[in-house]
Amino acid sequence: MSLAPLLELRDVSRRFGGLQALDGVSFALQAGEIFGLIGPNGAGKTTLFNVITGVTRPSSGQVLWKEAAIEGLPPHRIHRLGLARTFQNLRLFDSLSCLDNVQVGLGRSDRRRALELLALFGLQDRAAEAAAGLAYGDRRRLEMARALASSPQLLLLDEPAAGLNPTEKQELSSVIRRLAAELRLTVLIIEHHVPLMMQLCDRLAVLNFGRRIALGRPEQVRHDPLVIEAYLGGAGGDPPPEVSP
Amino acid sequence: MDTLLQILVNGISVGAVYALFALGYTLVFSVLGVINFAHGALFTLGAYLTYLGVGGAVGSNGALAGWALPLALPFPVALLLAGAGCALANLLVEAIAFRPLRRRGAEPLLYLITSLGAGVVLVNLLQIAFGAEGYALPADALGDLPPVLSLAGARIRSVQLLLLLVCAVVMAVLTVWLERSRGGRALQAVSEDAVTARLLGIDSDAMVRLSFALSGLLAGLSGGLVGLSVSIAGPYFGIVYGLKGLGVLVLGGLGSVPGALLGGLVVGLAEAAVPGDLSGLKDAVAFAFLFAILLLRPQGLLGRPPISKV
Amino acid sequence: MPDGSLLVQMLIGALLGLSVYLPLAAGQLSLATPGFMTVGGYVAALLSTRVAALGGAEPLYPLPWLLLELVLAAVIALALALVVGLPVLRLRGIYLAIATIALNEILRVLLLNSSWTGGAVGIFAIPQPFGDPLGYLAALLLLLLLAGAACQVLAGHPLGRAMAAVRDDELAASCSGVDSFRVKLLAFGASAVLAALTGVLAAHFFNTWNARQGSFDASITTLAFVVFGGSRLWLGPVLGGLVLTALPELLRPVGDLRLVVFGAVILLGPLLFPQGVVTPALLQRLPLPAGWRRRLLP
Repeated sequence: MSLAPLLELRDVSRRFGGLQALDGVSFALQAGEIFGLIGPNGAGKTTLFNVITGVTRPSSGQVLWKEAAIEGLPPHRIHRLGLARTFQNLRLFDSLSCLDNVQVGLGRSDRRRALELLALFGLQDRAAEAAAGLAYGDRRRLEMARALASSPQLLLLDEPAAGLNPTEKQELSSVIRRLAAELRLTVLIIEHHVPLMMQLCDRLAVLNFGRRIALGRPEQVRHDPLVIEAYLGGAGGDPPPEVSP
Repeated sequence: MDTLLQILVNGISVGAVYALFALGYTLVFSVLGVINFAHGALFTLGAYLTYLGVGGAVGSNGALAGWALPLALPFPVALLLAGAGCALANLLVEAIAFRPLRRRGAEPLLYLITSLGAGVVLVNLLQIAFGAEGYALPADALGDLPPVLSLAGARIRSVQLLLLLVCAVVMAVLTVWLERSRGGRALQAVSEDAVTARLLGIDSDAMVRLSFALSGLLAGLSGGLVGLSVSIAGPYFGIVYGLKGLGVLVLGGLGSVPGALLGGLVVGLAEAAVPGDLSGLKDAVAFAFLFAILLLRPQGLLGRPPISKV
Repeated sequence: MPDGSLLVQMLIGALLGLSVYLPLAAGQLSLATPGFMTVGGYVAALLSTRVAALGGAEPLYPLPWLLLELVLAAVIALALALVVGLPVLRLRGIYLAIATIALNEILRVLLLNSSWTGGAVGIFAIPQPFGDPLGYLAALLLLLLLAGAACQVLAGHPLGRAMAAVRDDELAASCSGVDSFRVKLLAFGASAVLAALTGVLAAHFFNTWNARQGSFDASITTLAFVVFGGSRLWLGPVLGGLVLTALPELLRPVGDLRLVVFGAVILLGPLLFPQGVVTPALLQRLPLPAGWRRRLLP
């Protein structure tokens, strides 16, 4: 990996009052890879997303995008650099139509392009409907369509499979692979469903209590003693990575 | 030119009222994360109820002209009853203006609007019942207490001392209750995280009602005391205090109990220090502080920076 | 034709309704519409009565000077909106509501205590640019049409969508590339300018002007326009302003109950009709030509 990384975190920490949400986290993403972030509840995964996307400032450390520091920039500036995200608990513009949700992501009025994006997720027939009225799975898909509208280079997905049924989860996995390949996306993904992550991700980082305790290819991470301990040590309610699909 | 001591006395006693006001906002804010704009109207209600309680009659411009209670209660009893009445009234405000929105998970903006509406309805009903005229509580309401004490050249009115006393007691009781008691800690837990609190078996609806009742009680007590201290200048006088209380609230820090106290004292003292020939500008002091603090330290003097939950 | 002056007041109400609607469309409650209107009115009143060179010989106040007042009022209101908005709109939530209350109060105190603005009694004998209510009617109608057209364009414009996005979820909007601070500031600035322009015309029409125009009551009344009419479509606050201004005049007997009724509208409106009277669903049902309907809906 001699190429300069697309995104690099250097020693990123974040405190909230007495809580050390992130503690010296470092890793780097290469362009084109699907990179997973796993860890028990409260490990700091979403905080890390917030730091990368400008929602939260790091207390210390650096976030580098194509080797330039971006920490402290406001979210909309970071979005315009080519980083787009989804949210763990789905944040759509409920009063807007599906079409307009996507057009907000586009930043301009372009019906045709917006319809293409909706079609990527099979939502073209729903274009005029208000986002509030969609079924749960469609809401997840719409949020991804909105995130992709700006043609980002890095897509950050926060638990995209939460609340989906097993069939939808399988579909999601193949959709992510296909999009990554077709749109030359780099994907950073948080997901609790470990089997899905094992088969989807090129590399994984494991967080526990705000620290990165492991980093590597899925099969390396799976057998890392620290990871096994984090999951079996009672720190959270997630299934250990040993569980097979 | 008043002596420094006089300014301190006047400033602290006015500041105590502002603090009580901001505290009433804070109690509701810490549980629901929204501001109850009807608070100023409850303050007015407290003043009128106290006036009726001590045996005052409705003036000639009100729909209830000439009406009075058949008996005159001692001031402390009337004040406590007025506080209780305002607690009940605030529970009604909660039930009408807040609860339906909470059930629906509505955006915070709507609470501002509905509570503003509740306040406007309440104030204007009072205006219809009592007329727009001012009322003064009887000067002998405090019984045998001398109306004015002299201390090192400063004139201290008994009612100012009473205000201070009530404010100090309320602050102390509330702080201890919030930190030590089961109910107080439950209230704090709900304000930290309503969902988790529910999982721990805390009835957050009951906590919301408790915070409204307490906050209404504070509004009623301070309304009655101010009514005694400076008279009731018509149904809108509570709104003026209510608006200033917002300045105090932001100055001290939204949701901070010691912040409400500090903010109240700062604004009260600053107002008292405004020289006599500029006294017309006094009413702008709280709002000047508000802008200054928003520029310099948006979380307020003692507030914590907000943590956004994503 | 009913009383011409009632129609003028209804149009003023509609314009003020739009002024409250604009920030609300971006999720911000501004209670300063009457405050900005007061500022606009004082610009008109001071310029036309204190600048001696004006309005000497002619029976009517010259229109070019009226235009100058409008420009000046817009600039001053915008500057004031920036002073208030810059610190406040970077913060999320309810700060604008509180800060605009503070602005109203500071304005009121300053105006009441300055002899230059006529103190508590205000300014009298403001000259008339128009001979009868028809002139005011035309001027206000023109302003309303311009403002309505601007809102209409906004509905299909990225900026209008960005406002709605900020209203629905500010954080998600920022993470979707919307500069929420800029969007909120633009909406608030537009609201201030519209209120100030309305104030200029209102001051001439009422012939007298004082600080009471910006009272807390006025804030409540203008808010009721929007809550009643609805804040999803710009037609809502226009209708709200027209109807609720006419209502107390038509129902004189209501008298003292006027503010109780407005309070009840503000209290119960969001509970019973969360979207106000004019909703997209209503427009779907009305027997409008299809082209109209498509244009009015976002």
